[in-house]
Formats: sequence, structure tokens, C-alpha cells
Amino acid sequence: MLASVRSATLLGVDGQLVAVEIHVSNGLPAYNVVGLPDAAGRESRERVRAALLSSGLEWPMRRITVNLAPGGFRKTGSGLELAVATGVLLAVGELPQGCLDGIGVLGELGLDGSVRPVPGTLALVHALRREGYGRVVVPAANAREAALVAGVDVLPVRTLPELRACLKSELSWPSPDDVAPRRGSGAGPPAGTDSDAEALDLVDVRGLKEVRLALEIAAAGGHHLLLVGPPGVGKTMVARRVVTILPDLLPEEALDVTRIHSVVGEVPDGVLMTRPPFRAPHHTASSAAIVGGGSVRPRPGEITLAHCGTLFMDELGEFAPAVLDAMRQPLEERVVRISRQSSTLAFPADFLLIACSNPCPCGRAVTECTCDPGRLARYRRRLSAPLLDRFELRMSVARPDADEQPGDPSAVVAARVARAVARQRARYDGLPWRRNAAVPAGRLRDFAPLDRVASEVWREIVRRRQLTGRGAVTVRKVARTIADLAGVDDIDPSHLLLAESLRQDTP
Amino acid sequence: MSAVDVTADATGTTGTDAAALALVSLASMTPARLDALLRAWPDPRDAVAAVLDRDRAVTDVIRARSPATGAPEMAALVDRWSETVDVAAAERTIARRRTQVVLATDAHYPIRDDVPRRPAVLLAEGTTLDAFCGPRVAIVGTRAATLQGLDDARQLGRALADAGCSIVSGMAIGIDAAAHEGALEAGGVPIGVVATGLDVVYPRRHRALFDRVRAAGLLVGESAFGTKPEPTRFPVRNRIIAALADVVVVVEATVKGGARITAERALEYDRPLFAMPGSRRNPAAAGCNALLADGAHPLLDPSDVLLALGMTEGSRRGWAPRPSVHVSVDAQACVRACGGEPATADQLAARTGLDPAALARALAECQRAGLLTQSRGFLWPV
Repeated sequence: MLASVRSATLLGVDGQLVAVEIHVSNGLPAYNVVGLPDAAGRESRERVRAALLSSGLEWPMRRITVNLAPGGFRKTGSGLELAVATGVLLAVGELPQGCLDGIGVLGELGLDGSVRPVPGTLALVHALRREGYGRVVVPAANAREAALVAGVDVLPVRTLPELRACLKSELSWPSPDDVAPRRGSGAGPPAGTDSDAEALDLVDVRGLKEVRLALEIAAAGGHHLLLVGPPGVGKTMVARRVVTILPDLLPEEALDVTRIHSVVGEVPDGVLMTRPPFRAPHHTASSAAIVGGGSVRPRPGEITLAHCGTLFMDELGEFAPAVLDAMRQPLEERVVRISRQSSTLAFPADFLLIACSNPCPCGRAVTECTCDPGRLARYRRRLSAPLLDRFELRMSVARPDADEQPGDPSAVVAARVARAVARQRARYDGLPWRRNAAVPAGRLRDFAPLDRVASEVWREIVRRRQLTGRGAVTVRKVARTIADLAGVDDIDPSHLLLAESLRQDTP
Repeated sequence: MSAVDVTADATGTTGTDAAALALVSLASMTPARLDALLRAWPDPRDAVAAVLDRDRAVTDVIRARSPATGAPEMAALVDRWSETVDVAAAERTIARRRTQVVLATDAHYPIRDDVPRRPAVLLAEGTTLDAFCGPRVAIVGTRAATLQGLDDARQLGRALADAGCSIVSGMAIGIDAAAHEGALEAGGVPIGVVATGLDVVYPRRHRALFDRVRAAGLLVGESAFGTKPEPTRFPVRNRIIAALADVVVVVEATVKGGARITAERALEYDRPLFAMPGSRRNPAAAGCNALLADGAHPLLDPSDVLLALGMTEGSRRGWAPRPSVHVSVDAQACVRACGGEPATADQLAARTGLDPAALARALAECQRAGLLTQSRGFLWPV
């Protein structure tokens, strides 16, 4: 009277294998769930029972114990219900023994016996595949998403009776395309990109030659960019166009990004996100919303949703100081660690930060500002020096002179960026980083060597600008990216000087 | 014998000083009330005695200056004064802090008697009162100064201090501090006029500057010890700056600001008033330009001030010489493109037509040569 079904639950943005063990024995009718279920897990009794009854099956009037193993962490969500129901059927002999060998089961149940989609299917299927379960029963609505995982035999089901029939070989498994027909071109844009991304183009920006260059370098090397200037000069306009010049994600990046977005339920049915995400949280966002958190089920924050893409923070100075300080560690490590009593989760957070800020409370240009010095000092204190130091590129944006011309269209810039990115991917092949911005300082000698003249120029810059250690390293990394954009291997002095001029002492 | 005489003499002076400080320290004592008291009783000790006696004359003398206040309130105030006036405490303070008390009746009182509403009692701390000897120039301006304004104030303070002038200013952030710094750099005499008590450092970030001004010159004020910075006190303080100075120079000022008040007082007291002309785009120069439009002398060179003081120097002092360095054509173009005003790299790129790499090279060259400085995201002509 014992059955065991493999399923998976979410732990952060990763799937974690769970063995659902069902024991049905004689005794007073009862239903107990052990093994750290959350509230949804404890409620499963009513749904499983109703689903079985609605499907014309029998609910055993016996003592049922459900164990979720391993017991060490809290199982969240309702994605284990289908596994519980299947386990009960198996335990009472409704299903042949061994029919679930090598199969993982995911799905939430409706009272009518229908199988409902679960968030994070991609991560869950991925985890099952990793543990050797090459066949996975998934809700039909998640079939296409599950199929994104390579080497998995997706077994989509719409209802519990259908699953029972398939397992008893009374029916053959439907193919993913049958249950979730591939939608035509009307599928809409992939999630995570601006819905009007198509309409954006750098050619819309007049003047701001240096700012556009900074954006190009930021996109190419993954260098964080801060734009400071009065309202209405085009900071936001330039920043938003970064999506038009970033290259497509690598296949494994695309899977990671889709997996993360699937966990928070932001992926439209089974579309692999091939474009880098663009996240623009509002400045009222809480610390948990930005870096991730939540006590029972830690959720990835905006910085994780921006993984492999761009996090755009408009009005940086308006974000709560606690939020900005909480971002400093992930900015450095490209991973955010959320520690809770029960566990520590690591969310990936390798993103490009682009931020805009006004120079002062009055919002006028620095040269026209009439702010009281005390108020100005308080305003500037909001952006702490350690945070500002993490911006590799800092530009002051002023109103362009009237007759300035637009520069290259996005397609041209994107081609240059793609070339520079390809150079970096080749250079860092087999290493744990892909962009110049992520090269550890200790490895600069290998990847951004300076000849005698260049290193003299570098030292002169550090001296003249009184750069911190991080500042000095930054100038060299940005110079590396500038050289990559130029398509040359050696960093020459003009690359260093350009890198320096794009890292201004902003207010 | 002589030692006894000196002691007696010193005690006598201290007695006057302590009495004056005791009066200054009374609650609700204003410059006008203090002036009225000391006009009625020129010796502060007599004034203290009158207060202690709750002399009806005290009430009358004070009411004459503020008729709006009713007699009963005034009498109550004098009652309170008579209970709180503390000459012994004032004496201890003077001994401890070496505060110098200058009465308007003293021979070395630095403000001419043609100034209306001059303080009846000035408190000074620092070096000796000799600092008041010699020509005094006030250099004032806005707290929200530009880099260029700060540099001008500093150079002006240095040049004038070098020529032997004391530099009077208000110890505030911005132009004031730069002027004091300039005077200190030249080894000159700074005179800082504060709106608070002399024991209060405001703004607090100027603690080091306060110490240096004390060591080289004087801190001057008219308020009791412990008086906190209150917005209403600063305009009142500004009249002392204008009154102490033989010439007043406004370096950068907004249209409405403390420096404009100092300038108005200077005109009222018939002091020569100079203003430094600035760009119409610079809000920190708008006040100066308005003063010029109203007839202030334009300050084009520090020697203009010396001329107004009647200090005919053989040579023009001038500003610090511009670095005469040979720089590339691109660098020259960048300096020209700034046109004497701050600009962003973007603006310079557009105006010079240089490509980013060439611009970066030229800007680095300008900074090395000291032609431009980079601050707050702008390039500022030096």
C-alpha cells in the first residue's frame, strides 16, 4: 500500500527534486501531509479528493499519509498535487505498479479533475532531467515550456482521467503540439522586452554623441552606466534604447533567463526568451522587490529578472537608500544571496545597470543650478560614494545644441556591439565570465595588458583623477571594451583616455 | 607697586568688559536695546547697576526703541534681567576664552561713527585687535558658487591680503570661505564676522577654517555665547561686514541673497562697492550683474580695489597668470569651445567636431596643462 512518485518544487529559481510518498493503510479515515509542506500543500487534501471524485474515481476511506521527501526544506506551491493524486491511485491499485518508473509528475489539480499549469515549469523539468527523469508529465498548458529543456520526453496531460488512461496504456500520450498548438505570428513580442521595442531606435536621439558612445560601450562590455542631467535632455530616451543594441542571448543564457521569468510567471506560454530582458522598476520599489526576498518563498527580485539583461533605474536618487545599499553586493558578485532561517538561496544577478539621475533637487543643469548648498549636499549624499564608484561609465548630459545631427541607427551600433561581444566570448571561452566588466582585477594582466606607453598613460590618469583602486581597474576594463569595439587586440593610450573621459566626476 | 597698578587697571577694564558681556548675554537682548542702554549709561557697569536696581529709566530707555511693546511686558523683562544678569560669569568666560570686548566708545572700536545702527558691543576672539588696523576689504558672495567664482574669491583674497588688506567676510560656505582661504594662503589677516555666538561653529564643516581664522586673524560677532544660527540673524550680521569694510566686493551673488543685503548696506554706509561681472547664463552671477546695472564698480582686476583704497601700488597685481603652455590644436579648440563657461564633453564634441577618441585626448591634455578642470560632470575653464 505504498507508492512513490517523483515530482519537483521550486527553491528560489531552481527546481528541487521531491519524492512524494503515499502510504495508505487501514485505520480511521485520515489524510496527513508531512515533510514541511506550506499552506498550499496542506490544502491539497481537498483538491485531490474533489478531483478524484469528479473524475469518477474512488477516494479511499482509509488512513492516507503523504510524505514529501527530503524533509529538510519547505515545499512551496501546489505543483505537487498531481503527483499526490497519482500516488494515491498507485497505492490503491488503480494504476499498475511500475507505470511511473522514470517519470516525473508536475501539475496542480482543479476540483473538476483538470490539470492546471504550475509556475517555474522550466526549472522544475530541468531539475527532474538533471536527476535522471527523462520523461515528465506536465500540465498541457506548460507543455511547450517544458519542451524547451533538451532531452526531455514531455508527456502533456489535460485532466486526471486522461493521465490515468495514458498510464494504463489505454490512451497514447498526446503530443505537445496537439494540446498546445503553436501559436502563429500573433504570439506577441517575447516577454521581458519593451512591447514597443521595435519602434525604438538610436537614430531618434539627436546630438549626445558622447552619451550614445557610452551606451554602446556599456552594452558591449557590460559596464554599468550612470547618466546625470536635468530633466528633458534625453537621458531616459537614450537609456531605453539599450535594448536595441544588445545582442541575442546565448542558448544557455536564454534558458536561464526563461527559467527565472517562468518562476515568477512572466513567460508567455513556452516562448524561449532570446532577447536580453529589460527591467525598469519604479523608484518606490522595496528592497525585497529589487534584490529578491520574501520569508516563506523567496522570490527573485528585479536584479535577478534582469539577469543577462538590463536593469534600468530612472531617478536613481529617489530609490530608498536601503535599496541602493542592498544592491552593492550583487553588483560586485553578480549573484544575490538571500539568507533565511531555513536556507540560503543564491539568485543569479549578472545584469547591466543603467541609471539616470538629476544633478540636484531643482533639476536644472549644474551650471544653472540655484540649489541651496545644504539641500544639495543632502541630495548628493543619497547616492553613496561606494555605489557611484561601481558605475564604470558616468556621463553628464546637457541639452544638446540646436543643430545637432542624429548618429548611427541602432542596427549599425548593434552590429559593432555584436562584434565586440563575440570577441569577448571567444577570449573568455571556458572561463566563468563573458564580459570585460566581469574580469577579475587579478586577471587584467592576462586579458587587458598594457604596453609601456599605455601603462604610463594609465598611471597618469590614476594620479591626475585620484582614482580609487576600483576606479583604476575600471578605466582599464572599459579601455579593453573600447579596443574590442575598434576590433583591435592591443589597448592603446587613446582607448584609456577615452575610457577616462567617459567616467566623469558626476555630482 | 607698578604690578599692583597694572592689576587694578586690568581689573578695571575687565570689569567694564564683563559688564558689557553680561548685558549682551541677557535673554531678549537685541542690538537696538543694547545700544539704547549704553547710550543712556555709557559705562556698562552703570548700566548693569541700573538693571539690578530695576531702574524705571531702563524700561523707558528700552521702550523708546520698541514702542510696540507694552510697558508691563517691558517691566517684566527688566525684572527678569535683574534676576539673571551675571557679571561674575561673564568675567569667568572672558578669562577662559580670552574674549576681547570692544565698546563703541573705545578708541580702537573699528567701525566709524557715521554708520547707523553700529553694534554697541563687538566681541572678538583670535589674535590682537591690531587686526583691525589697516585697510579692510569685505569679499562676499553666494554659498552656491561656481568653481570659477570660488577661484576668483580665493585669488582676490590672496592678492588683497598680499597688498596688506584685512579680508572681512562671513565664514559661510562658498565665496566667503574661499576669500578667507585666500587671505590665509597669503599669510594675511582674515576677519570672520559670525551671526552666532563666537563659541558656535556654523557651518560645522568649517571647524578647521574657524581655527585657522582665529590663529591668523579675528572672529567677530555681536551675539551672546551659545547663540544658535537663526535665519534672521544673518542679514543683521551682514551690516557689520559692510560697516567693518572700507571697500565691499561681491564676487558671485544670486539676485536674492545675503550678499545683496551686504551690498545694500555698503551703499547705505557710503562704502565703495565692487561687483565681479559674470555670464548671463550663470545664476550665481545674476546678482553681481544686477549690482553693476545699478551702478556698482566692475571689478576686473584686484588692483581696482587697491586704487579705490588709495593704495597706489607701483605694479598692477592682477590675477594669477594663465599657464602659458603649448598645447595641441585640438586642445586649443576645446578651450575655445568652452568660451569661458563650463561645458559637457558632449557639447564640446558637438562644437569642435572632434571624434570621441581625439576629444578624450585633447581633454586630458587640457587637464594636464591646467587649462580645464573636470568637476561635477562638466569641464570648467580655469
